[in-house]
Amino acid sequence: MNNNSNKMFFLFILFFSTLISISSNSWFGCWIGLEINLLSFIPLISNSKNLLSVETSLKYFLTQSLASINFLFMILIKFSLLKNFNMNNIISIMMNSSLLMKMGSAPFHFWFPNIVEGLSWMNNFMLMTWQKISPMILLSYYFNKNFLIFMIIMNLIIGSLGGLNQTSLRKLLAFSSINNLGWMIFSIMISENLWLFYFLIYSMMIFMMISLFFLMNMYFMNQLFINNMNFFIKLNLLINFLSLGGLPPFMGFMPKWIIINFLLINKFYFLTFIFMMTSLIIIYYYIRIIYSSFMFNYFKMKWVNLLMKNNMSLINLSSFISISSMILSTFIFM
Amino acid sequence: MCFNSFFFLFFFMLINFFFFVYFIMNGLSVFFEWEIISFNSMSIVMSILLDWMSLLFMMFVSLISSVVIFYSKSYMNSELNLNRFIILVLMFVFSMVLLIISPNLISILLGWDGLGLISYCLVIYYQNLKSYNAGMLTALSNRIGDVMILMIICWVMNYGSWNYIFYFDFMKNDYVMFIISFMIIIAAMTKSAQIPFSSWLPAAMAAPTPVSALVHSSTLVTAGVYLLIRFNYLLIDMFFFKVLLFLSILTMFMSGISANYEFDLKKIIALSTLSQLGLMMSILSLGFPDIAFFHLLTHAMFKALLFMCAGVIIHMMNDIQDIRYMGGLSLYIPLTSLCLNISNLSLCGIPFLSGFYSKDLILEMVSFNSFNLMVFILFYLSTGLTVFYTFRLIMYVMINDFNLMMIYNLYDEDYIMLNSMFVLLFMSLLSGSFLSWFIFSYPYMIYLPFNLKLMVIYVSILGSILGFMVSNMGIYSLNKLLLSYNLSSFLCLMWFMPNLSTYGLSYIYLNFSQILFKNIDMGWSEIYSGKGIFNILKNYSVFYNIYQMNNFKIYLFSFILWFMILFIFFFI
Repeated sequence: MNNNSNKMFFLFILFFSTLISISSNSWFGCWIGLEINLLSFIPLISNSKNLLSVETSLKYFLTQSLASINFLFMILIKFSLLKNFNMNNIISIMMNSSLLMKMGSAPFHFWFPNIVEGLSWMNNFMLMTWQKISPMILLSYYFNKNFLIFMIIMNLIIGSLGGLNQTSLRKLLAFSSINNLGWMIFSIMISENLWLFYFLIYSMMIFMMISLFFLMNMYFMNQLFINNMNFFIKLNLLINFLSLGGLPPFMGFMPKWIIINFLLINKFYFLTFIFMMTSLIIIYYYIRIIYSSFMFNYFKMKWVNLLMKNNMSLINLSSFISISSMILSTFIFM
Repeated sequence: MCFNSFFFLFFFMLINFFFFVYFIMNGLSVFFEWEIISFNSMSIVMSILLDWMSLLFMMFVSLISSVVIFYSKSYMNSELNLNRFIILVLMFVFSMVLLIISPNLISILLGWDGLGLISYCLVIYYQNLKSYNAGMLTALSNRIGDVMILMIICWVMNYGSWNYIFYFDFMKNDYVMFIISFMIIIAAMTKSAQIPFSSWLPAAMAAPTPVSALVHSSTLVTAGVYLLIRFNYLLIDMFFFKVLLFLSILTMFMSGISANYEFDLKKIIALSTLSQLGLMMSILSLGFPDIAFFHLLTHAMFKALLFMCAGVIIHMMNDIQDIRYMGGLSLYIPLTSLCLNISNLSLCGIPFLSGFYSKDLILEMVSFNSFNLMVFILFYLSTGLTVFYTFRLIMYVMINDFNLMMIYNLYDEDYIMLNSMFVLLFMSLLSGSFLSWFIFSYPYMIYLPFNLKLMVIYVSILGSILGFMVSNMGIYSLNKLLLSYNLSSFLCLMWFMPNLSTYGLSYIYLNFSQILFKNIDMGWSEIYSGKGIFNILKNYSVFYNIYQMNNFKIYLFSFILWFMILFIFFFI
């Protein structure tokens, strides 16, 4: 049974586990936090009435525990071989690999779209935003630059190419999340502050999109093409998709802009090229969805009325934030 | 709207007249200058030069335009958008005035470009296919002149400011001035439709008749001549002036011949305008700018009158412009035929009408100074041709028998049109003597032998006899034009120059661009950048999707495999 008080309890432990993980001064503490994270997330997502969610929670458990075991093992090897500096490279690669698997980043991302497909929207939101905090921060403590740049490139490419052929909205957001992971890992290498900024904006955008899909109960792309949606809902959809893709003048452009600025100043030209091209592919895919749903007459169902009178304030607010926050932030901060 | 603008322009004309008289009697000229911006050693100024030449020209322009606007109140009274038409004409007058009063190349450019653009808008006013083609021809030919003036602006930046009139005395032998003179001659040739660029003037007759009266008789086409008159001190010893002489004489000759083969009323008048323009340009290039200016002004008067009479006749003949349908009109429309005859005879140079003063002075100056034999022959021959086509026109329209058409309405009592024509008639009678008394403070000294003096009259009589003989059309006449078809079509179609400048220039490029479009735009660049990349990406994504749909065990196993590889790779 999964009533609200259970959820509150496990959510509380989930939050605390992340705090444990990022604020410990020993690698063991980190590992403990990761384990508690896993253990408290599983009850959140498993619903014994639904076979699909049980299977999903099992898959999630298997991958995450594999990654945790590896992480623990690498920590122990690191403690015992600390005197030997030429081991530094391999240990950091191993630790980074296990953390990347925790996050769902390429090349260990195969579980991520699968699991995302089996979860409900709110659980997806948790998975895409909160669960990434502690692996990222742990990544920032001990990362191997060359390995991570290679991983970033793989993330970007897989995130963009994988999303081209999807029709399920959850898988689409999963691949977009993988792509944005690439940007976020790079921002870790610049500074933690920047990573925090990118992560907050990304989670805000994901929240707006997921809340929209959750309220309209949409899981697949063909549900977007219903013609009698309220105009503001469609507009909100348009703005949020474009903002997620990183198009100026929306909010999602700002963190990408700062990262590109850093890339160009420090002469990472090839990497800039890959960032740009994969963003183009992602935006192509979003625009393809948007103008089919926004402009064309596709599908008109007479008995579904998506006026949503009682939830308009949230949608209006989120549209307003997406459009104006980049410009307003220049007034505040500069 | 018509009456307001008529009164305003008439009042403006009176102001200009009084200032002109005052300025020319006292030898004054006023120069206003307003510096707009000055940076990096160049200063953009807005200058206005008011001397007797600009005031006189402004007076004539405003008189003709006020009369034309009054005329178009009745001519275009069935037009729904008459306000639009009047506004276009007023904008045209404004651009012309800007061109006249500016000693500064930037404001000349503004006026010049404005003239070209607005004449395009006016030529395409009747929106049919012929007007569109004519408008395109007009606009593009004028555009060449605009480009030339733009390049002159670039070259004049060498001197520090764009007021060109101050540089003539000092910079005559400079290389930059050499280039500038070349370009200004080409610009004037495009605007005034000399030989390489003369195809737009007969084509622009697709415009409404008031537009032809204002634009294509007196203002637009004389802008080029006026510009060369302003630049005259610079150009007088240069080689290009001699080239201009050659080309303008040929223009004069060619259009005189082509007008003899034409049967469209407005085209005959357009070709006669072209012939007189050639005359103006040639006398200018011989070194007499004031005589060219004089002929410009008198020609403006009677040519505008001629166009307006043609407009009345076209209205009467139910919008038919072909002179073979007309005939004997002098019996039925006495007042209009009065205006037509006076303007035609003034064009020929019949003594003591206005055209006589300027034309006769030109021909006597050509005979008096020693020039080339070819110059001499072509001048007199063209004068004879002018009389030839004029008399032919008069015979066809006025004197021969009436060729009965199905619908006609010989209505002469339209007093709005007639009053406007009478104003120009009055000016066309008197402006010759009036201008010669004002402009030339002392007469030119001309001393010629007897027969040379009467050469003009001989040539005119010869032309009139030929005109009379050619226009005797009867049922059993042999059509001599068809007997010598090749020669006739060469002479009639303006020596094939319109074909050269339209079809001949564009055919190669259009062909080539079709090849490029088919092979590159719709061919290889689709594979390499458009659909091709999309197909590649889509195939990658499909492949990845196949790869993704696997057993879960494989994911876990791949992770372990990765670790094993790292271990092996680093430990061994």
